[in-house]
Amino acid sequence: MEIRGSQLEIGYGDHTVIHDMDVTVQPGKITSIIGPNGSGKSTVLKALTRLLAYKGGVVTMDGRDLKSFSSKELARSVGVLPQIHSAPPDFQVKELVGYGRMPYQKWYERNNAEDERIIDWAMRATGVWELREKPIHACSGGESQRVWIATVLTQQPEILFLDEPTTYLDIAHQIEMMQLIRRLNRENGIGVVMVLHDLSQALEVSDWIVVIKDGKKYDEGSPEEVITPRMMREVYDVDCSIIRVPGREKPLIAYHEI
Amino acid sequence: MKASGKHKVSALRIGTIWLILAALLVVLSLVAINVGSAGYSVSEIVHALFSPEKSTVKVVVMNLRLPRLILALLIGASLSSAGAILQSVMRNPLADPGTIGVSAGAGTAATTILLLFPHMTNAVPLFAFAGAALACFLIYTMAWKNGVDPTRIILSGVAINSVLGAYNALLQMLHSDSLEGVLAFMNGSLSGRSWSHVRVLVIYASLGLLLSFFCIKSANTLQLGEEMAKSLGVKVSLTRVLLSAVSAFLAAATVSVAGMIGFVGLVVPHIARILVGSDYKQMLPTSMLLGAVVLLAADTVGRTIVPGMEIPVGIVMSVTGGPFFLYLLRNGGKMRGNQR
Repeated sequence: MEIRGSQLEIGYGDHTVIHDMDVTVQPGKITSIIGPNGSGKSTVLKALTRLLAYKGGVVTMDGRDLKSFSSKELARSVGVLPQIHSAPPDFQVKELVGYGRMPYQKWYERNNAEDERIIDWAMRATGVWELREKPIHACSGGESQRVWIATVLTQQPEILFLDEPTTYLDIAHQIEMMQLIRRLNRENGIGVVMVLHDLSQALEVSDWIVVIKDGKKYDEGSPEEVITPRMMREVYDVDCSIIRVPGREKPLIAYHEI
Repeated sequence: MKASGKHKVSALRIGTIWLILAALLVVLSLVAINVGSAGYSVSEIVHALFSPEKSTVKVVVMNLRLPRLILALLIGASLSSAGAILQSVMRNPLADPGTIGVSAGAGTAATTILLLFPHMTNAVPLFAFAGAALACFLIYTMAWKNGVDPTRIILSGVAINSVLGAYNALLQMLHSDSLEGVLAFMNGSLSGRSWSHVRVLVIYASLGLLLSFFCIKSANTLQLGEEMAKSLGVKVSLTRVLLSAVSAFLAAATVSVAGMIGFVGLVVPHIARILVGSDYKQMLPTSMLLGAVVLLAADTVGRTIVPGMEIPVGIVMSVTGGPFFLYLLRNGGKMRGNQR
């Protein structure tokens, strides 16, 4: 399943954030959207998943206009974890994960055996099985982020959209999250599109990177092609070197000393 | 094993709470039938009810106390349910049917009729219902802009409530000599209600309460936040409007019969949340039960505490419920308030 945005104009009210953008999300790949604060990364992510209406252009999924999908139909193909999400603190983990089955149910239907099986699978895949009886407020930040990923996974999406999935997590949980995302991609073939702030992480896990600057696409390509000292200077106004370390597959970003 | 044990305890807890509330409801109903300005003994009442001949006792109990009891239960359940549903739409603990103009709209219509067209007093319930619906519709229309969001509903509610409030105040100032009916309406009272009121409210309240059970899943999903709900395939704006409509319908039905009774719709859902948690599958039925208990208790106290005088149920509830709620708020643990 391929999602393609063409000539997108997106904004809030009279203010246009994204100008004339073409962006394509490949099936089965990990795509990261990077760029400075306020460049419009999240805005693009929301438009590609119809959380935000776009003013111009068109988004298609396998050639079909996104606007022609029913809400539930879309929710069965695309799972989105927004940056801002919250649940009542006393909701049980298992219950929350179960909400991912809503797109498959009529309003009066309850979870059937198949739903339960998928809920269990999603909890195991994200490592929250042990937490299933706990209330959300008893989970740590990293745990609750994995619970939310499990919720979205329960939708059985072909592509998972994650808006800054590692923000607010400590480094151990950030790495754990990246490992989880890569595992879901490699083992289950789920496509991932995420907005990331940490360029080292983007460099390491992405198959494809889209760089956004001031509401326009600056560049896109494989991580090694895109993350260069020149891009860092022009987009982030930061000086760095990209260095190779023996024994590491991917290069590292070495920022110049402060 | 340990984990599933935990789960069972919470089901047990909910069961216990429901059982206690049901028992309270039965006890309070018996008390409400028994006490009143005409002091009959229990045996007199039982005897009168089961004897075939007509007696004063039977008339008082059957035509005054019983309809009033039923009304109190229906109104308490309805207002609590209305408030609980609205709180999920607004994701705000301060939301109650007053927020979406139900009270102000009904108040405006009732005040207008009572003060300007006193010969139409019998039609007050009808106009109050229409006024409530109209004000609510107006607020949502004003708040609509590519969908409705809670902040805009609340703000347009504040604006429209203040305009209607000013109109009411002006009208009352101009007719300060004939405010009795208006005051009774504004403070919500069950005094002098009869079977004809019950017949009307039973239909509306049953329909509304039934509809609220259909809101449970949506109300739960709205608690996950707008974008999350959307990404789960929920039509958020449509859901908000439908849930608000159910809430407004319930509140408007009660207002038209009993006038404006505050506090229940705001506070009972909170107490229910503290008792059984935020899941509407448990929280909504708990709210209904608790609302019925609270309103019946308040009304019974109001009509018996000062001999020969009726204190409107709305006043009793605010005076006693406020401090009780403050107590719960300080001791209620993690479940209280909204979830942001």
